[in-house]
Amino acid sequence: MSRKRLRNLGWDAIGILVLIVMVFPVYWMVTTAFKPGQKILSYTPQWFPTHPVLSNFRDAIHQQFFWDAVKNSLIVTSVVVVLSVVLAFLAALALAKFSFYGRKPFIVVILGVQMVPLAALIIPLYITMARLGEVDKLSGVIIMYLTFALPFAVWTLRGFLLGVPKELEESAMVDGATRFGAFVRILLPLLGPGLVATSLFAFILAWNEFIIAYVFLHTPEKQTLMVWLASFTTLRGTDWGPLMAGATLCALPVIVFFLLVQRRIAFGLTAGAVKG
Amino acid sequence: MAEIEFLHVGKVYGGDTLAVSDLNLKIGEGEFVVLVGPSGCGKTTALRMVAGLEEVTEGEIRIGDQIVNDLAPRDRDIAMVFQNYALYPHKTVYENLAFGLRMRKVPKEEQRRRVEEIAQKLGLSDMLRRRPGQLSGGQRQRVAMGRAIVREPKAFLMDEPLSNLDAKLRVQMRAEISRIQKALHVTTLYVTHDQVEAMTMGDRVAVMRDGVLQQVDTPQKLYDSPANLFVASFVGSPPMNLFEATVDQGGTQLVFGDTRLDLGFRSLPDYAGRRVIVGIRPEEVREASGWDGARVRGRVLLVEALGAEQIVHIQIAATPLERADLVDAAAQPPGPSLGVEELERSVTLLGRFDRHLLLTPGEAVEVAIDPRLLHFFDLETGIALPTAAVPAVAGVAG
Repeated sequence: MSRKRLRNLGWDAIGILVLIVMVFPVYWMVTTAFKPGQKILSYTPQWFPTHPVLSNFRDAIHQQFFWDAVKNSLIVTSVVVVLSVVLAFLAALALAKFSFYGRKPFIVVILGVQMVPLAALIIPLYITMARLGEVDKLSGVIIMYLTFALPFAVWTLRGFLLGVPKELEESAMVDGATRFGAFVRILLPLLGPGLVATSLFAFILAWNEFIIAYVFLHTPEKQTLMVWLASFTTLRGTDWGPLMAGATLCALPVIVFFLLVQRRIAFGLTAGAVKG
Repeated sequence: MAEIEFLHVGKVYGGDTLAVSDLNLKIGEGEFVVLVGPSGCGKTTALRMVAGLEEVTEGEIRIGDQIVNDLAPRDRDIAMVFQNYALYPHKTVYENLAFGLRMRKVPKEEQRRRVEEIAQKLGLSDMLRRRPGQLSGGQRQRVAMGRAIVREPKAFLMDEPLSNLDAKLRVQMRAEISRIQKALHVTTLYVTHDQVEAMTMGDRVAVMRDGVLQQVDTPQKLYDSPANLFVASFVGSPPMNLFEATVDQGGTQLVFGDTRLDLGFRSLPDYAGRRVIVGIRPEEVREASGWDGARVRGRVLLVEALGAEQIVHIQIAATPLERADLVDAAAQPPGPSLGVEELERSVTLLGRFDRHLLLTPGEAVEVAIDPRLLHFFDLETGIALPTAAVPAVAGVAG
C-alpha cells in the first residue's frame, strides 16, 4: 500500500471518528426517547430499543405547560426571524451600497460585539431590561435575541450584497426603476441564499437559546421550550425518558426548517449576470 | 432622439481627485461619438455623468434642451450598455428585455410585440425563455444591446460593450453595433480604450487624457492631423514614429543623427535653431530604392510578418523622446536592446512595408522619408506645429 493511500485512510478514520462523536448524542437522545423507563437506567446499555414505546412522548406532551411553551417558542422564533431578516437587509444595504461617515468603525463594532461572552453580558442586560420593564415578557426576550442575531445577519448579508455587481442596480435605475425599486426588484431576489442563511441562523438561535430565556422568563406560562425542558430535572432527580422525548420533539422543527430551506442555500444564483 | 451636450463639465472625487476637467463636447442628433483614451482618463466618468450614475461637480449636461444635472437616471430617457452587460440573472431573456418597458408602464401587448421584434432582429427569438447564465458571451452581449434598443430611448450610452468578447466576435459585433446605430439613427456616446474601435465606429472621435479632452474630430482628421503629441501617439496602430531633431538653416532643414533633411516646401521659421519633435506614420517610412530625396541610413532589427504586409523595426541614429509624459505610454515601442551609449543616440522606426520586400534582421537599409508627410510638435508642450507653412523662406535654402 502506498504512503498516499495510507495517509488518506488515516484521514478517513479520523473523519469517521469525528462523525461518531458528533452523531452519538443525537442517536442516544432519540433511542432513549423510545425506551421504557427501566431500560433507560439499566447497567448494561441497550444500544437499540428492541421494544420501542411511545409512552415517553405521551408523558412529555402531557407535562404541564408544554403547549404554552410551544406557543411561546413559535412566537419568539418567528418574530425574531422576520425582524432580523428585514432589519439586517436594510442595514446591510446601507453598509454595502452607501458610503457614510463612520461606516468602517460601524462594521468593526458589529464584529466586535460578537466577541463579548454572553455570561459577561447577562447581568447588565438583566438590569437594563428590568428598568425598561421587559423582564418576564416575550417581547424582552425577542429584543435580546435580535441584538445577538442582527450582527451576524448584517455581516452575512453585507457579504452577499457586495457579491452583486453594482451595475445591476445601475442598469435597473437607467431602465426606469427608482433606487429603492432597484433594491427590491433586482437585489432582493438575488439575495435569496443570503436571506435563507440568515433566517436559518436566526431560527436556530431563537429556538435553541436557553440561558437568556431561563434568566428572563420566570412565569411557567411564559417560558419557551428550552426552559420547559429543564423542568424535567427536579430536586428529586431527572425524568430521563420524557426529557429525551421532549428534546427530540424540540429538535424536530429545526430539522424540518432546515430541510425546507437547505436547497435554497445554493450559491451561484448570480451566475450569468456579468461576464465571469 | 436628442443632442447631448457637455458644457464646462468637471468631476472631482472625494474633494481632490480630478476625474474630468472642463469638458465641452456636443453630440449631434443621431451622431455616433466615441470617447477614447487610456484607462483612467475620465471617459467612463463622463459617460456615467450623462447616465446620472455620477454626480456632476461643475458645469452642465444637456440632453435635448433639458439640463439633466439633477435628474434621476430613470427620468433621462437614455439606455446604457455596460461593460459586463449587467443582465438580471434571475430573469429570463424575455424579462430582461421587457424590464425597461415594464418600468415605464408600457401595456403588456405592446411589450410583447416590441420584445419579440427586437429578439427577431438580434437572433434571440429561440432564447427568450433562457436565463443569462445559459447564454454564451456573444448572446449576452446581444441581450444587453437589445435591452437598450427596445426602449427606443433618446440616446444610447455604451461603456466598452465589446471588451469582454474574444477578438473575432468583437470585430463582428463592432460592425453590427455600427449598423444598428445607423439604422435607428439614435444619438450614441460610446466609450472605449481601443483606438481601433474608436476609429472604425465613430462619426467623430473624442480623445481624452487625464480628464482633459485632447481633440474631437472625424477619425480621418484625427489620424492625418493630430492636435498634439498624445493624440498622434495614441491614434494609429502601429503608432506614429517619434524622435527629436534640430531645425536648421532658418527653419528649412531638419538635422538628426547624421541625417540632414530638406523640408522642401515647408519650413518652421519660428523654430530655427531649436529642437522639435518629429513624427512619421509607419506607412510613410519607405524603402529608399528609386527615391531621389533624402535618405536615412539604418539597420533592420526585427521583421514582423503580418501576411498582407510586414512591420519592420529599423534602428536609425536620432535622439529618442525625452518627454515620455507627453505621449501615450502604451504606444511607444521598446528601445533596441543595445548598449546604453548606443541607445541614447538611436531610435527604432517602425515601417509598414510591402510583403514582397525581403529584409533580414541585422541588414543595413536605407529608408526614404518624404518631408511633406512629417508631423512636427513642440518639444515642451507637445502641441502640433503649423505644418503647412508657406514656402516663404524655402527659396533661400537650396
